[in-house]
Amino acid sequence: MRIRYAFAFALLPWLAGCNSILDADPTDQLPDNKAITTSEGARSALVGAYSALQDIDGVIYYSGDFLALGDLSSDNATATGTFTSYAQADANQLRASNASVADIWSTIYIAINRVNNIIEKVPTVTDLEDEEKNDILGQAYFLRALNYHNLVKLWGGVPLRLVPVKSLQEAAAATRASVPEVYTQINSDLAQADQLVTSTTPTTRATIGAVKAIQARVYLYQGDWANANAKADEVIGLAYELAGDYSDLFDEEGQDTPEDIFKLLYTAQQAQFIGYYWNSTDDGGKAELTPTQSLIDAYDPDDARLEWSIKDDGEGTISGVKFPTVAGTEDIHVIRFAEVLLIKAEAQAQLGDLAGAVATYNLIRVRAGLPKHKLGNEVTSQADVLAAIDRERRVELAMEGDRWPDLVRRGAAVAVMGIPEFQTLYPIPQGEIDVTPGLTQNPGY
Amino acid sequence: MHRFRLVLSILACFAAATTSLSAQTATLRGTVTDSASREPLQGAAVSLVGTSLRSETNSAGQYVLTGAPAGPALVRVQMIGFAPVQQSVTLESGSEVTLDIALAASAQRLEEVVAVGYGLQTRGELSTSVSSVSAADIIGQPVASVDAALQGKAAGVQVVQNAGNPGNAISVRVRGDASVSASNQPLYVVDGVPMVAGDISQLGLGGQGLAGISGLSSDDVETIDVLKDAAATSIYGSRGSNGVVLITTKRGREGRTGVTFNSYVGSQSAPKRIDLLNSTEYLDYMNAAAANDGYGTDYFGTPGVSDSLNSDWQSAVLRAAPVSSAELAVAGGDQRVQYRLSGTWFDQNGIVVGSGYRRLGGRANLDFNPGSRLSFSTSLAISGERNDRIENDGSDIGVITNAIATTPMAPVLLPDGTFAGPDNGLNYPNAAALATLNTVGARTTSILGNVEGRLRVTPSVLLTSRFGVDLIDVREAQFQSRRIPGTYAAGAKGVAKSGFSNGNRYVIDNFVTVSPHLGVRHNFDATAGGSVELNRSQLNFIRGEGFSNDEFTQVSNAAVLIEGDGSNSRNNLVSFFSRANYALDGKYLFGASIRTDGSSRFGTNNRWGVFPAVSAAWLLSEEPFFKASFFDYFKLRGSFGLTGNQAIEDFPFQGLIGSANYGDDPGLAPSNLANPDLKWETTAQVDLGIDMAFASGRVSLTADYYNKSTRDLLLDRPISSTSGFTSVFDNVGRVRNRGLELALTTVNAESRRADGFRWSTTLNFGLNRNKVTALFDDQPFTAGERSVNRVEVGQPLGVFYTLKFLGVDPATGDAIYQDVDGDGAITSADRVVVGNPHPNFTGGLTNTFSYRGFDLTGFLAFSQGNDVFNLMSIFSNDGGFNTDNKFGKARTYWRQPGDQTNEPRPSYDGTSGATEISSRFVEDGSYLRMQELTLGYRLPEHVAGRLGFRSWRLYLSARNLFTITNYSGYSSDVNSSSDKNIGLGVDYYAYPIARTFTFGVQAGW
Repeated sequence: MRIRYAFAFALLPWLAGCNSILDADPTDQLPDNKAITTSEGARSALVGAYSALQDIDGVIYYSGDFLALGDLSSDNATATGTFTSYAQADANQLRASNASVADIWSTIYIAINRVNNIIEKVPTVTDLEDEEKNDILGQAYFLRALNYHNLVKLWGGVPLRLVPVKSLQEAAAATRASVPEVYTQINSDLAQADQLVTSTTPTTRATIGAVKAIQARVYLYQGDWANANAKADEVIGLAYELAGDYSDLFDEEGQDTPEDIFKLLYTAQQAQFIGYYWNSTDDGGKAELTPTQSLIDAYDPDDARLEWSIKDDGEGTISGVKFPTVAGTEDIHVIRFAEVLLIKAEAQAQLGDLAGAVATYNLIRVRAGLPKHKLGNEVTSQADVLAAIDRERRVELAMEGDRWPDLVRRGAAVAVMGIPEFQTLYPIPQGEIDVTPGLTQNPGY
Repeated sequence: MHRFRLVLSILACFAAATTSLSAQTATLRGTVTDSASREPLQGAAVSLVGTSLRSETNSAGQYVLTGAPAGPALVRVQMIGFAPVQQSVTLESGSEVTLDIALAASAQRLEEVVAVGYGLQTRGELSTSVSSVSAADIIGQPVASVDAALQGKAAGVQVVQNAGNPGNAISVRVRGDASVSASNQPLYVVDGVPMVAGDISQLGLGGQGLAGISGLSSDDVETIDVLKDAAATSIYGSRGSNGVVLITTKRGREGRTGVTFNSYVGSQSAPKRIDLLNSTEYLDYMNAAAANDGYGTDYFGTPGVSDSLNSDWQSAVLRAAPVSSAELAVAGGDQRVQYRLSGTWFDQNGIVVGSGYRRLGGRANLDFNPGSRLSFSTSLAISGERNDRIENDGSDIGVITNAIATTPMAPVLLPDGTFAGPDNGLNYPNAAALATLNTVGARTTSILGNVEGRLRVTPSVLLTSRFGVDLIDVREAQFQSRRIPGTYAAGAKGVAKSGFSNGNRYVIDNFVTVSPHLGVRHNFDATAGGSVELNRSQLNFIRGEGFSNDEFTQVSNAAVLIEGDGSNSRNNLVSFFSRANYALDGKYLFGASIRTDGSSRFGTNNRWGVFPAVSAAWLLSEEPFFKASFFDYFKLRGSFGLTGNQAIEDFPFQGLIGSANYGDDPGLAPSNLANPDLKWETTAQVDLGIDMAFASGRVSLTADYYNKSTRDLLLDRPISSTSGFTSVFDNVGRVRNRGLELALTTVNAESRRADGFRWSTTLNFGLNRNKVTALFDDQPFTAGERSVNRVEVGQPLGVFYTLKFLGVDPATGDAIYQDVDGDGAITSADRVVVGNPHPNFTGGLTNTFSYRGFDLTGFLAFSQGNDVFNLMSIFSNDGGFNTDNKFGKARTYWRQPGDQTNEPRPSYDGTSGATEISSRFVEDGSYLRMQELTLGYRLPEHVAGRLGFRSWRLYLSARNLFTITNYSGYSSDVNSSSDKNIGLGVDYYAYPIARTFTFGVQAGW
């Protein structure tokens, strides 16, 4: 009798129904099989994929490191702050342990995985009209291509992940594709996007124009001048035009300009760090990056962009002020119309249409308040024209992370930076090599 | 609803059980006295062998045992400091028997009562490994937290202070580090309630954390029992792997009401300054760095002009700081009700400007015995803490960080008394301004308590039901002033953060203790029961920027709210446990226990874990053949068992989707890769021990050997981020900890007179060897600050893994590193193991002298062989690549070809190799520290009595009086990594540990 009571007493927790106590689901996250099953889920997943282009859990992509390294590795910027990862990039002595390199790598792949989830699951969502479904998928293909292009620009051939990873075994299986293989995938994704995307607004999302502009850029990187020219023409055929004032592009309220093709939306709550990193400590910035004399010299003294981009306080402090505030609310342009014009000019010059090339890049010069170049006057040979375009790209896109990939693309990095050939590719992060048996390091690291 | 029903059914069960009672009983009473003085002894434990009947003597030495079963019985009387006595008696049904017993004094502590989890045992009965620390060992130590007071006090328990800021969370390791991603902290159980664990701060400040344990005042602690081997800890099953620290608080006793007052006041200061260059040396060094790289001479300034000022930045942020503590307690009671009420106050200013800690606490412990069968007790503590922290370890707006980094050529203050800034030559934000104008405050309110009911169904069956809560509420507020140029906050016009954290734990335990009467040769008891534990946590966080002035410091004043976050999480645990102990003839001891835990943290594939353990001991000194020998006491022990660890985040096994927003659009994205097979981490531990006493009890020794093998490590292991995830929780790898522990107590001199000269020595010694024996695919990985720590098979956890520095090339002044792979270039492939953060051994040596009313205690804590990675060197010994001030050792830098030195050529462009993270920055962190030196005087009783006191003691004490070490930083007892498992032994601008002098009084009425 007593023993029975004693046992009942001891086993009370069981009577209380312990199994239901043990099924505790999170309240602020969702089991993964419940996501992307409805139209709402599909739209939200796409938002998540754009969010990844900004930054993930403080790991910085377009919000900071990705742009910063694009200038630090080049002749545009020196590292003047405390980040040793930036100092290494500035000295072109990146190590495989470099934290910024590792962050950019992993953030881009996290962005790709978000896109892969959309590409896999959205086709099975039933409550979506075909047009919206195609538009979502098209934007996903576009984002995947953009992300892979950002990888191939910095590292060369990289592993191609095209479906979401579901298990630990799949996670460890990754080997590098060749550079042509990666470009084949990028071209194919962009071609899909070109067919599927129907949106024309807003410019903070992928639109028809954004797809064609990135296609032009990717063709330029492949040296496919004819296609680059053709795609640039398609963009020019749309309703874009240069912003009246260069400064409008970097407005702290993020106002739209007719030049915007695809830009990332930043607010006080989702701020970028690039302005904070460039601005001087006197202006409340961190001065992690400072413009080089070489960059200052690249501007014509009358160039309106010089005054907007670089500040000399007269007391020996020079700082980059293209993003004028440290609060980080300026939008970041992934691609804008000026770049498309410069792509077209370069393609024209490469194809031998020197007069056309000069006419195209003169549009940029005029907006900057500079006199037009005249073929036979300031520039004569094809080499002259290409050099002028290169200089124009450098100052137009300074502090937007384009200089280093440009130098590498044109095979100029070794000569300009005085570095060994192997340093034109970034090291694969050591942590990745350690956990991915099939992944090989770039030579020299 | 579920919970309500549960409580109802407990009550129902209690009611049902009370209705069936038996009547064949007798009453036993008597008086316990000291055989020498014939004085009555208070607090002696009187028990009836074979039953759970137990009584404690009152101030008159009297005890009563009612409801004793009729028939032959064995009465046992035990008291600390006296040899135990067992006496046979025959009890007639319904009779009242009087039995007086005299105890003889003894130096052994075999009768000490030890908490073992859901019960008590005396030390003599133990077949497991348990270390005990008593109130006397920890009282009066000028530290905020009980765990800090444990340092060096228990063999095999390694305490690392991490940082010296008041109220800091401390790392405690029982028998080594076993886990990589799950917690390595032991489970703290206060009066039966497992405490909420982990760093409860939302503001990441490197090595500085907040822990719930600091809410407990050490004045309220009676004993701390550290369960070490698997047989002792497996009763806590899935949380036993890291050892269990059972804290028992002081309770009232039957007798006249006593009042105690304990208080001390003291002063703290930093025991040392780091040796840094003065402005002349700094200028010389930096000019050389610039000149070597072609920047011309005097690039950093003209000697004799630019170095005219020599600022001591460390003195600008360090200060002498007061510490004070007071406790007032009232305790007493009668047979039916015993109580102890206490209030405590602790106030410690930090030795770094801007830091401090304060605690106000109250505790009520009540015991109520309405009848002989039923008793109730409650323990309830409420505390409020105020923690003022500073940004520090590794932060570029850290106070110590910038005090070490800033050039001595720049002024701290301007002539007008305002803080100097970049315009005045500062290379970093002003450290003194950071300490003064920025604040990081936390207010913690905690309630820790339980209500317990015990029903003696029959003399041999005791039911216990306990309901416990641990509620903790933390409100943090950080403010970063806009007035410090060079900081982010200056640009953002001020930053304020506010974080609210709330953790709740509810525990319901029900268990039965059965101690059947099996005759005088057999002593058996068994405990079985169940436990349900519900945990909830809720966090909120907001950050605002833009303040019109420094008077507005709250987020509500901010112009823009930048960031808002919140989370809500829970985890539950359901457990069944049982334990049995059997002693034959009082010399062959056996124990067995098993616990089954179900945890919501694991998927249905592996939700339940089973943790069995067995132990045995042989009391050789009770054998006839041993009796005449040299030993007074000799016990051999052995145990084996399994324990678990589940101290990870709440939902690691599920594939999860979290939010990822873009502008105003809400978005979602994968947040966790599924691993449905995730399960406990399991530790198998073998323990072999020996307890002995000899030389008439003047020497006692406990020694243990253990081998702990932890497998299925819960590892937040890195995975290829090409998968879209950077890490996942997985059961991979094994870690082994093997070691020896020694606790030796000797009475070196003892006068026959009670107040004569007495000298005793206690040595605690622990030696642990940690080794990783398997990993996922045996792939090593790096972690910690600047990735200097490594996890690699065949090496201890968290060894330092960097380039190996071979010296400086006398010809060029360049640092030479070992080219391990022989490819002619120094790359990351040339990294090797260059240091081990684990000590070879640790321990403490206490000497206590007493004569008449005087007592003198000296306590040395030591640690040998632990390497420290002085990560400050990457800025302060970098050859001048950064403008940070340099360590004194840089004075011997390479100047010209032929120089033999270990300090490379200064190089402003970093071309001499001095910037490489290498073994050049590893230092020996061994230390011998005079942790405590106390001189006390107790007034003779008749004098105290004349003054109206029962007792009166005054003392002077010094903590951290001196440290013998080769380490060049503030303290080698350090860890700046927020990762306390792998990121070990890294000093990245850690807060210095204070030297404290205190004056105290302990009075009783």
